[in-house]
Amino acid sequence: MAYYIGRRLLLMIPTLIVISFIIFVIIQLPPGDYLESYVAELESQGESVDPGQIAALRSQYGLDEPFLVQYLTWSTGMLHGDFGYSFEYGLPVTEVVGDRLFLTVIISLCTILFTWLIAFPIGMYSATHQYSWGDYGLTLLGFLGLATPNFLLALVMLYFANVTFGISIGGLMDPQYLDADWSWDKLMSVLQHLWIPVIVIGTSGTAAMIRRLRANLLDELHKPYVVTGRAKGVPPFRLLVKYPLRVSLNFFIADIGSMLPSIISGAEIVAVVLSLPTTGPILIAALQSQDMYLAGSFLMFLALLTVIGVLVSDIALALLDPRIRLEGVRTS
Amino acid sequence: MKGTILALLLMACAADAAAVPALQEELQETPLLSQQVATGELAPIARRLPDPPYVDTLSTTQADTEQGQQGGSIRLLMGKAKDVRQLVVYGYARLIGFNDRMELEADILEAFEVEGNRRFTFHLRPGHRWSDGVPFTSEDFRYFWEDVALNTELSPFGPPVALVVDGRLPTVEILDRYTVRYTWQNPNPEFLLALAGPSPLYIYRPAHYLKQFHVRYADPDQLAQRVEEAKIKKKQWTGLHQRQDHQYKFDNPDLPTLQPWIPVTPPPSEHFVFRRNPYYHRIDSAGRQLPYLDEIVIDIASGKLIPAKTGAGESDLQGRYLEMSNYTFLREGAKRGNFDVRLWSSSRGARVALYPNLNANDETWQRLLRDVRFRRALSLATNRHEINQVIYFGLALEGANTLIPASPLYRPEYRDAWARFDPEQANRLLDEIGLQQRDARGIRLLPDGRPAEIIVQSAGESTEETDVLELIHDSWMEVGIKIYVKPTEREIFRNRIFAGDALMSVWFGLENGLATADMTPAELAPTSQQQLQWSEWGKHYETGQGMPPDLPEAQRLLALYRQWRHADQIEERRRIWHEMLQIHADQVYSIGTVTEVKQPIVVNRHLHNVPESALWNWEPNAFFGRFRPDRFWLDPARSNSVAGGQ
Repeated sequence: MAYYIGRRLLLMIPTLIVISFIIFVIIQLPPGDYLESYVAELESQGESVDPGQIAALRSQYGLDEPFLVQYLTWSTGMLHGDFGYSFEYGLPVTEVVGDRLFLTVIISLCTILFTWLIAFPIGMYSATHQYSWGDYGLTLLGFLGLATPNFLLALVMLYFANVTFGISIGGLMDPQYLDADWSWDKLMSVLQHLWIPVIVIGTSGTAAMIRRLRANLLDELHKPYVVTGRAKGVPPFRLLVKYPLRVSLNFFIADIGSMLPSIISGAEIVAVVLSLPTTGPILIAALQSQDMYLAGSFLMFLALLTVIGVLVSDIALALLDPRIRLEGVRTS
Repeated sequence: MKGTILALLLMACAADAAAVPALQEELQETPLLSQQVATGELAPIARRLPDPPYVDTLSTTQADTEQGQQGGSIRLLMGKAKDVRQLVVYGYARLIGFNDRMELEADILEAFEVEGNRRFTFHLRPGHRWSDGVPFTSEDFRYFWEDVALNTELSPFGPPVALVVDGRLPTVEILDRYTVRYTWQNPNPEFLLALAGPSPLYIYRPAHYLKQFHVRYADPDQLAQRVEEAKIKKKQWTGLHQRQDHQYKFDNPDLPTLQPWIPVTPPPSEHFVFRRNPYYHRIDSAGRQLPYLDEIVIDIASGKLIPAKTGAGESDLQGRYLEMSNYTFLREGAKRGNFDVRLWSSSRGARVALYPNLNANDETWQRLLRDVRFRRALSLATNRHEINQVIYFGLALEGANTLIPASPLYRPEYRDAWARFDPEQANRLLDEIGLQQRDARGIRLLPDGRPAEIIVQSAGESTEETDVLELIHDSWMEVGIKIYVKPTEREIFRNRIFAGDALMSVWFGLENGLATADMTPAELAPTSQQQLQWSEWGKHYETGQGMPPDLPEAQRLLALYRQWRHADQIEERRRIWHEMLQIHADQVYSIGTVTEVKQPIVVNRHLHNVPESALWNWEPNAFFGRFRPDRFWLDPARSNSVAGGQ
């Protein structure tokens, strides 16, 4: 086991190097650089910029250096915790992202909890009552959630939340709490706003989870050990939870790999629509304005989390399910 | 002995009385600051104001404004944290600014003298202070000129271009503590305009603050440590100095300022607070220090959500990010909320304009696009009335891309030139050029046999633009010209034009539709690479590379622009402006559609002194700036309920 983990950890190094290079290339691919986007944005509002000033900024930001030099500066900087400088915010990347991480994690965790709370009972019910009206009805509901565009749902809910409950539009709290310290009122204000993004982001994830849980459970429910258990008189619900459900959870553990990065990135598009103070809108804005160090470091962070997440889920799977082996069978 | 003391005392009193403005008896302490003044934290108002202060005689006769009360806070919405710079635009404290009558007037300065547009003498207000209480003097001008603009490390590309005239720098003289003089050999008519600009030319810096970051003044060890702490790239002091010195970006709460409100919140944030500047130099005639509003709060929200948030009453003063298409929604919100929706006009020469590229690489097309008959035909084939009715509720003004009626230089014939919808004449003109042949679809054939299909480059800014082009497409089809719209990224858009690959592009019309003869006509002549119809000629003017204009009319425009720069007399300038406008009207260098498109402005019902209708533009109005937001005030009796309500 230790050997396996060690090898996987070592393998992560070249993987991340390759990823960092690809990220940097892709971010640099669109023509122009941050300053050109910046100038274009100013001009569309009627402002004009002194070309000399732009040239000075370009050399100050190091945008006139060759591609490889820029890449090396960035990638070696990351090794000792310097993630570069965000042009857009005029601050080191860590400071820009730092404040927003906390709220992002809260939203993501709430959303995941919400998804589980909805998906598990429905999935279990659908599997045990296959082809019943309840199965069809709930599945339909799940599919509706999957099929409704998130951003549309978000806008509709925003409107009604504002008109009927008087909740301020967008954001995660009423404006007066924005820079205030945490207090009971602030927490309540956050809770008031939190449910919209949680429902909006959650609905899309629920359907997929329901279907997978249902399919996995159905595979198990007809296996002989279930029949044996039932014949021995184990109460139906206890039987369901104790054996087939646990076996069918493999997919769920495997999901951790992708869940980890999504906790950090949040649902970008919904976050933009709802104007949430999470990291998603920052990432999108950074990509749009070619704020390359911000975007690059952020993507790099997501990549790191994905790689770690996959490792964690592999290890967890091995621990939970003895049928899974870490290494190929040694034939001797 | 007693007598002498008494005499000294009397003299001191007399000196005091002379130093204090006549208004002193009437000066009123600002309620918000009275506590601080009482504890001695802040000097009383008489010692915070310069002598003389600017007395704003708010009167209903002139600009429909009234005296107000101090206090209150309003909320604004912005799409990005960087937009806090709009408070410099709205704040509009300038050395010299435009007043209600659109004349240049000393604002921060007490007075200024101009001789032949060559010699500019500025007199500061004695006793004027930065927002941290340190005197604002000619040293701040000297610091900028000698230690920033002429410092080759800080400004490797030299002083700002507005200070360079025909390649020469001005002579800057610091005459005394309150007087500075700039002298050029050749006239610099754009100097004062640049000082009054919405993004003003800053020729002063808070020297006392910035010296701690300047290698010439700071203690080397301390400076090195500061640079280290700020994690400046390449560890250069210049990076630190530049970062602290953002007078326009307005993102450094430590940087002293002269604006009416000073930033309090350091970025990054979603919620920026600006407090009144206790040393602001303007008062009303009742002796109350401006600004009336104690506080401005800017909340950052996604730009697309701002109309919705505004409609829900979350902004007290909003124009930016609102569009005509939001109007009905906003009106709906106004019924429930506590705000009015006003309609201002935009002042660009045209909301959407098409620019034929006279520098196109394709030779056949270039010949055609340079043929004035072709451009006139396209303009005649544009159904502006239909565009107005379909997209702008019929509220816009139709016509060519030229000045708007509010400009003193406006003449109806410029707007009407080649701007009526006349497909017959357009067809006749196109036939005359020799494009008689048509293919099966009815599209005319070029001399080399290709169909006359034009790809219009668009920066893909808005769906509105696409809708207008759709209508133009239909009406141009009637004369046998087909257009395709190609939306691209802004950078690609510009690069294709710079390279001459674009045949035609779509953008806004003239930036300053409200020009007066004193404003620069640079937009009308090939003077910048950014000009979409003759990018290459513009580049030649800017850098000497590329091709100079080879059409006589364009050469004439450039010559006229040079004449304008050297013209001393207003009549002369007016004549030049008219000739340039006439050439544009006649030559149809751009095809305008409609202008004076309405701009919804949302204003809290209890916020006074915001004009009912006005022009919403960048230059010269600086959006709200020229209407002086420091005069806007909240009716306290009624607005309390507002603050509680939301």
